[in-house]
Formats: sequence, C-alpha cells, structure tokens
Amino acid sequence: MPTPSHLQLLWSYRELILRLAWSDLKLRYKGSALGFFWSLLEPLLMLFVLFEVFTNLMRIQVENYQLFLLLGIVLWNFLDRGTSLSIWSIVGKPSMVQKVYFPRDILVISTCIMALMMTMLEFIVFVIFMFAFRAMPGWTIGYFPILSMLEFFVVLGLSMSLSALNVYFRDVQFIWKVIMQIGFFATPILYPITIFPENVRWIVMLNPMALIIIMMRDSILYRTPPEPLSLLYLAISAVAILLLGYFIFDRLEPRFAEVI
Amino acid sequence: MSVRVEHLWKTFRIPHEKRTTIFENLAELVRPNRYETFFALKDINFEVNDGEFIGIIGDNGSGKSTMLKIIANIIRPTKGRVKVDGKMTPFLELGVGFHPDLTARENIIVYGTIMGISRKEIRERIDDVIEFAGLEKFQDTKLKNLSSGMQVRLAFSTAIQTDPDVLLVDEVLAVGDMEFQQKCFDVFKRYRNEGVTVLFVSHGMDAVRRFCDRTLLLSRGEQVGFDDTGAILETYINRQC
Repeated sequence: MPTPSHLQLLWSYRELILRLAWSDLKLRYKGSALGFFWSLLEPLLMLFVLFEVFTNLMRIQVENYQLFLLLGIVLWNFLDRGTSLSIWSIVGKPSMVQKVYFPRDILVISTCIMALMMTMLEFIVFVIFMFAFRAMPGWTIGYFPILSMLEFFVVLGLSMSLSALNVYFRDVQFIWKVIMQIGFFATPILYPITIFPENVRWIVMLNPMALIIIMMRDSILYRTPPEPLSLLYLAISAVAILLLGYFIFDRLEPRFAEVI
Repeated sequence: MSVRVEHLWKTFRIPHEKRTTIFENLAELVRPNRYETFFALKDINFEVNDGEFIGIIGDNGSGKSTMLKIIANIIRPTKGRVKVDGKMTPFLELGVGFHPDLTARENIIVYGTIMGISRKEIRERIDDVIEFAGLEKFQDTKLKNLSSGMQVRLAFSTAIQTDPDVLLVDEVLAVGDMEFQQKCFDVFKRYRNEGVTVLFVSHGMDAVRRFCDRTLLLSRGEQVGFDDTGAILETYINRQC
C-alpha cells in the first residue's frame, strides 16, 4: 500500500526509478535513425487522418476541433501506452525479479514514468499547435497539474493490477487490448460528449478517463473550470483505482519470483 | 548478529499441469489440477556473526539457492523468520538488467543503480570500473558487440563497487576462467578484510575451505550441520562414500 513509510522507501529508491525509466526511454528511441521524432509523428499522422474524417465525413462542429482532437488523443495515448507497457514491466524483466530485490512496484512506477515522459514530448507538440492556432489559455489552466496527477493515478493504479495479474494469467494482456479498443470509442475522444444520447451520457461520465479528457479540454481550450462535484468524483475514483491496484499487487507480489 | 534464520520452512506446490491463463484456470472448476508438495527447506536454524564468512554446501537440489533467495527477500518463507542487519547485496547472477543495446558505459550506470550504488559514486568510479574490466577502448560499444568474457568482466567490475554489510554469493565463480576466479578470490579477501559478512554457496570445496570460517551443510532441504568448515567438509565427504 502507498503508506507514508512505503513512500519514504520509494523516495530512497528514486535514482533507480528514474534510471530505469530513462534507460527504457533511450532504448525505445535508439532503434530508429530519427529517434523520438517518429514517436511525435505517429500521433500527428493519426490526428491528420482523424481530423479529415471527422470534419469532412462526420461533420462534427466543435470550436478548435484540431486542438480538441489532439488533446484527447494525447491524453488517451498516455493511458494506452502506460498500461500496455506496464503489463510487461514484471513479466518482461525476470532477472530483476528473480536475482535481485527491490520493492517491485518500482518496475511498474518506472514504466509509467517512462510513458509520462513520452506523453510530455507529445504535449510539447500540442503547445506548439496551440500557439499556431492562437488559442491562448485562461486562468483555468491552473487545473492542468491536478488533472494530470489524477490521470497518473489512474494509469498507475491500472498498471499495478494488470502487471501483477499478467504474472499469473498471461491472457490478461489480450483481454486488456480489447478493453482499450472499446474504451477508445466509449470515451469522448474523437467527438464531444453531446454525441451520446442524453439518457446514456451519465454512464459515459462514470468513466474517469472521460471526465479527465472533458475537464482538460474545458480548462485548457475553453476557459471553463470543472464542476466541483464532478472533480470530486474524479479525484475519489482515481485514488480508488490506485489503492485497488496496490491492493491486488500486494496480494500477488510475494510469489512473483516463483511463478514468473 | 548480522543474519539470523529461525525455523525456516519452504514448500513449493508443484502443479502436474501448468496453467497460465484465465481460461485454463477456469478449467480448474471442472477438472481440478493435482499438486505435489515439495519441501525445499525443513526447519533451518542458524546465526551468523558480523564479519563472518559462511559457506553453504550440499548436493544439487538440497535447497542452497532457495535458502539464499529467501535471505535476499526474493522469495518468501512458508514458515519461520529471517532477519538481516545492515545493507544486503545479492550476487546471484552477474549483470542483472544488462541490455544488449546499451553501451558498456550505460550498462555500468544501470546495473550499478540496480545494485544500490548512488549516482554520485557511480560517476566517481566509472572510469575505474572500465579500467578494471580492461574495456577502455570499448566503453561506447554496445554490449551485444562485446565478447561474453568482456561482458562478465564488465558485470563483475561493476558489482564489486557495492559496499554491503552482508553479501550473498551464489556460484558466481562457476562462470569464469582461472584468471577471473583469481580476481574473485582477491575481491573476497578485500571484503573479508573490510569486515563484510559473506554467505557463499559453492560446489568448490577448495574455495570453501580457503575462505569460510563456518559452513552450513544441507541435504534434501534438511540442515545436516552448521559448524567449523573443516568438520563440516569431513562430514560431507564421508556422506558421499
């Protein structure tokens, strides 16, 4: 559990956490000549295709749709990348589990931090786009750090449970892939929430990712602060996901080295 | 007392059929899997004093490595307690976290961090490590392009930069040639002189006789004896006949 004493322990391992994240990031970009530009190109190409499809074919009417879309994709990518890389963070490093000991959540945390670093690179592109479209944020940009932190909690919490479960059940990774596919369309990433029929909107809004994306857009692009009650619900659910992740991880962790 | 092991038991439940997916585990309800219980360690008790050099010997499958992994906190005991005072470093395998696509230098940094060496210390010692491994010309070469001998030297030179209070060593000597073994012995002497407590699993009777103050003899998970190395080695050899 992320108790004060455990957080203190993690703090004493901060060099290891950052080193693992950094070397993983380097490895990811080393294979290709253009390095990390490829990883920026990928969401941009995706953005271009989606933008063309949704403005011309679907005729979606949204103010600053390019930015609306890009922000949604970047935020969703963080969840997608963070969890799908983390699923491998224990299983993919058997010698670090079987031959040395450090608190094993470090492997998951460092993977999530690496995913966060990649997302930060994408955010730089987003900021450049904002300037290009002259969309200057208002004071509501102050919600950005809070919302980012809550998304990190969600990603880390899911990653903790998924990485631990994948040690015991190797099909978790495939099941998760399907869930993420469904999630991509069940979350207002490509379209505004208003596209959903009024009577199912509240179901869509139960999904913390939907709230994060909507609130991020409101506060960065439309100068609208989030509703306090929704923000409270989001905070509670993000913390609950994190705690549940730790609970599952702590239950399964003792036998990692035997089962892996 | 730097290491204390009390009534330590470890059992493994070994399934007849390994089930690794949710689907296979659901089959459990219909067609239960059968398990064998294997007693890897049965009621082990011993205490190690500060600065002692302890050997752990026994035939294959006697529980030596399991013992070391439990002390290292890598696997958890079924029953009993293990207490370790001070900073502990396991040498169960050299080069944990080595990545073929990182350079020699980058691998030293990653591996050193995993072994608990601070960033500052790594920065100070990295050139010594490269020199000790004899890899000055190859420090920016990717690990995959180094020979396996070079990789072992690199790992070893990095690992010995740790300054633990308790060191756990598992058959590290088995991988190298004569020259490498000699280097290992020199390092053991250094650790010994620095007052580091060492638990050393080995099949090499010479090394055990040379270094170990006391030795633990295991057989099929049972503790046969824990006494002066000479006496234990005699017991061990007599049992073989």
